[in-house]
Amino acid sequence: MQEANRMWASASFVGVLIIIGLPLWWKTTEVYRVALPYDKINAFETDSHYISTELTVLANDDETAQEVARQIEKAFQESDVIKLKITKKIIPNKLQHLLDSVADEQEALEDVGAAFNIKKHNTFYVVQRKPLYQDVWVGTERVAFFRDIKACSTIVKVLEKWIYQPSVLIGARSEIADAARQVRFPSGPGYHVVLSVVHPRPQELKVNFNARDAIEDYIGSFVDELTELHNFTLKSQWLHLLDFDFEATEVPGGRVAGAERLPLLLTRLEERAATHVSERPTLNLALYVVPCRLAPLALQRYDKEIPPPVQAFMSPKWGGVVFGNPTPEECEKQVYTPPVNLIMGTFLSQLRKLLGITDKEAQAGARLEALRRAAPRAWERDALLRLRALQQLASAETSLRSLAKLLGEISNIVINDEVGASINLAVESIHRATEHMEKADLLEAHRYSQRAFLAAETAFMEPSLLALLYFPDDQKYAIYIPLFLPIMFPVVLSLKNLLLWFRGKPVHKEKTD
Amino acid sequence: MLKLGIPSFFLFILILQIKGDDFKEEIFIKPLPPSHLYVNFHFITLVNGEESFEHSHLAPRSLGEIMSRYQVEELHLTLTEGQWKHKQWGYPVLDAAPGAELYAWFSPEVIDVDAHWKKLSSTLSGLFCASLNFIENFNTITPKMSLWPTGAQKLKQNYTSQLRYASLPREIVCTENLTPWKKLLPCESSHGFSSLLNSRMIHNTNYHSIGVHVRRTCVDNNCLDTNLEIKQTVALVYDFKIINSMDWSFRKLFGQGLPGACPLSSSSKIYIDTTSNSTYRFKLSPEPNNIVLSQRGGSETELAVYNITNSVMMNIVAKYETKDKIFVNIPPPLTFTQYVLGYGKEFGGIVTELTNNYWAPIDVVLLENAPWWLPIQLSSLRINGEAESKLIMSQYYSPGKSRQKPYHLELLLRLPPKSTTTLTIDFEFVFLKWQEYPPDANHGFYIGSALISANLPTAKNYTSLPIHGNTFDSVINASKPWYPMIFRTNGAMVSLPTPDFSMPYNVICLACTVVALAFGPLNNICTKELVLKAAGTPLSLRQKIFNIFKKKKD
Repeated sequence: MQEANRMWASASFVGVLIIIGLPLWWKTTEVYRVALPYDKINAFETDSHYISTELTVLANDDETAQEVARQIEKAFQESDVIKLKITKKIIPNKLQHLLDSVADEQEALEDVGAAFNIKKHNTFYVVQRKPLYQDVWVGTERVAFFRDIKACSTIVKVLEKWIYQPSVLIGARSEIADAARQVRFPSGPGYHVVLSVVHPRPQELKVNFNARDAIEDYIGSFVDELTELHNFTLKSQWLHLLDFDFEATEVPGGRVAGAERLPLLLTRLEERAATHVSERPTLNLALYVVPCRLAPLALQRYDKEIPPPVQAFMSPKWGGVVFGNPTPEECEKQVYTPPVNLIMGTFLSQLRKLLGITDKEAQAGARLEALRRAAPRAWERDALLRLRALQQLASAETSLRSLAKLLGEISNIVINDEVGASINLAVESIHRATEHMEKADLLEAHRYSQRAFLAAETAFMEPSLLALLYFPDDQKYAIYIPLFLPIMFPVVLSLKNLLLWFRGKPVHKEKTD
Repeated sequence: MLKLGIPSFFLFILILQIKGDDFKEEIFIKPLPPSHLYVNFHFITLVNGEESFEHSHLAPRSLGEIMSRYQVEELHLTLTEGQWKHKQWGYPVLDAAPGAELYAWFSPEVIDVDAHWKKLSSTLSGLFCASLNFIENFNTITPKMSLWPTGAQKLKQNYTSQLRYASLPREIVCTENLTPWKKLLPCESSHGFSSLLNSRMIHNTNYHSIGVHVRRTCVDNNCLDTNLEIKQTVALVYDFKIINSMDWSFRKLFGQGLPGACPLSSSSKIYIDTTSNSTYRFKLSPEPNNIVLSQRGGSETELAVYNITNSVMMNIVAKYETKDKIFVNIPPPLTFTQYVLGYGKEFGGIVTELTNNYWAPIDVVLLENAPWWLPIQLSSLRINGEAESKLIMSQYYSPGKSRQKPYHLELLLRLPPKSTTTLTIDFEFVFLKWQEYPPDANHGFYIGSALISANLPTAKNYTSLPIHGNTFDSVINASKPWYPMIFRTNGAMVSLPTPDFSMPYNVICLACTVVALAFGPLNNICTKELVLKAAGTPLSLRQKIFNIFKKKKD
């Protein structure tokens, strides 16, 4: 009877401390975490994303269409990042007649536009046109003309190097940045474009330049075409008295700036340009008005060739700088009128690269119609959409994967409801973006990938994750050990006796002689 | 036009043509006999038009960006170290509370003013490297009577609901605030008057205050168009004891001479108040360009004006002729002081004394702003010892809420002539949660200054610009029926009951030990049994080992 009492007492200690106490302690000290779709996050395969796109081959006869389509299909068969859906058609007689008779390519383009919907995103038309001077001709619309069946290899090259650029897409998808990704700005919902006119010596020279009109006319008409990708805000400012020592060396006919000094110029500009107050990334365009005592200032030595009309350089992911060199006559008159066309044209070409439009290398037998307007070509916009969609998707997946890994490694990270919601939103958007990409629905795919990217970034950068990160474990133990060690020892030791008693075995061995 | 040099002629055109932006710089120097010197810098940028924030010419784009993003109509930010002594020094051009002070009116379109206010203060905190991010709802008030917009505003509009005011008396102002402030100037610190603002010298003063004030002003009398005025100010009070002589010069005050005007400014002028020359004779060299006599509200001021146009290094020197003279200080029409009453850690009181030295009554609005941890009770308000006073013409009281809202009391008082009015209000001390104590909690807790806005009937000792004025020349002969001014009293400090911060850990350790000590015997008694053991029973292995140790001990 006595023993039963003792055992029940022991059992109640165990009951209170271990069965009720431990779970209670566990529950109350738990770090708050919303349930996350870890399995979905771990199942991401960034390298398996691909984009479908529609290509229509229009030829005068069935045989040509077949052959061209076959060649293109063969070339893109191995690419896992872009999948072409090729349709073959014979050009209707009326259009064929028109194409053969009009002299100008632009006119022919309009004729194709009248018969087919070339305004649709993510489509491309390869159209046969007999009276062509070269094998392939590419304009600003989603159409390429080719002359005949012999132009097949050129068409394939043009599609690979200009239109679809699978290598750049692979670079966007992979974890390591390729050359193009090192130059272009990271994805984002919007950018500020700031034109800074740097005027180091306002007391000596008057500059006739309307920064507001310049940026709104030139850059404005360019970025208006890219509104489906990002929002842009255009700003301009004047930075006066920003003196900079170029350590220029005298050469015949001018001066050459020390190349190693140019990064320091960017630092000086950054100090004054006030880019830190805006919440969005800023693309910096700086027109540096060279003081008369240095003009003309060049960036490198030109021994034999004629120096280019504009001296400019670009810094990846930052922006571009153009030097405005006043002529000696202008210095004499103390009024400098910068060549707006030339300067803004240079800024535009820098901006194209910074936003991800790559330069197109010349291909033998192919002709790329030069840009007549500031706006990018229609197929370049498609390429950008594809690029950004893939990059955002890859980036969102990487962020979520890293977050999941971090959560596994660091147990102190809190995931509150908001972060949980944005992670779930990101995961869902990634799935929808993938579906749309495979269905060749480019605009929707880009929209969802952007949403996924933003949600993943917000979740990853959320400061509430770090709320408990710096709560050190040793402080917890400093409190637990004095309390739990002396209490838990006897209770745990009594478990053995308790188990024996419950099984009906004698607790103490009867020691008999 | 021919008189102007060619460079300045082009400069003139440049400024007029490109944007219509206009930049002016001014210094106002006033000796405060017998021992101090007041130096006030003004940098004014006028921006033409309504929406030129996105395309700035002379105005700082960073500030414009903030103003337009948060739809701020008018903004006043000052960062001040030291205390302006009104009784001794007269009135400053712009008064500022010690520490950081920020108030702003938001555009009427803003619905969630509090959210904008929070974002504005955080962004400004980043821009000026000041701890303005500590501005929260619990230290923000909306003054009802004491603050009015100084800029052009549309009529028939409710301004007070769009206003937020906060001050951080604990903020320490230093070089890291001055550097970003200088970056807002078009000439930065390389040219013009701003090159005098050498942080080594200007922080070596009795009082220094830097400020940014943005408001809209009328273009002309019809006020159909408005300009945006960005005014950056620096106020310094030098102590002759620190500069070691009564004679002052630019080289002594700023460590260097003035390198000339900023090439972008349309006017660069230095005004030296030489009124005190009649009692304390001093001689300025070089000679000023002209001397202006200004009669304003019954007081006469003599100003020596230097018009700086060239970029030749110059050093203005003042040499005093009589050095040891006894100075009789005639106090300005309205003086005030604030202090804390009480002993112990339970009850206390704030006393504000307002003295009207003028022969006519002066109407003032007094704003007391007590943090939530210093609850003031309206029932304990006494004016000259009376609970019901005839002096109160209007009153507004908004009780605070713990951790949410400060206590806010505004009184419209008519101060009788030649008298001192004493206001007392009691408070209780509050225990804070241990995480709410600031670092170095035993240093004490600051109470912000009270705001006193007064319409002074006389311009004696008054140096502020008239409300429509942009530049300092607008004070000349600017007689008005009254002279509005917002004063800040001195701040005060209380020491709240402060615990020993290692106490919680000690308590935990002690409690754990006690629990452990109590638990051991309890557990033993309940679960163990003492058994008698017969002698001669064979020893178990364990007991044998124990015995070895026992033997060794013996």
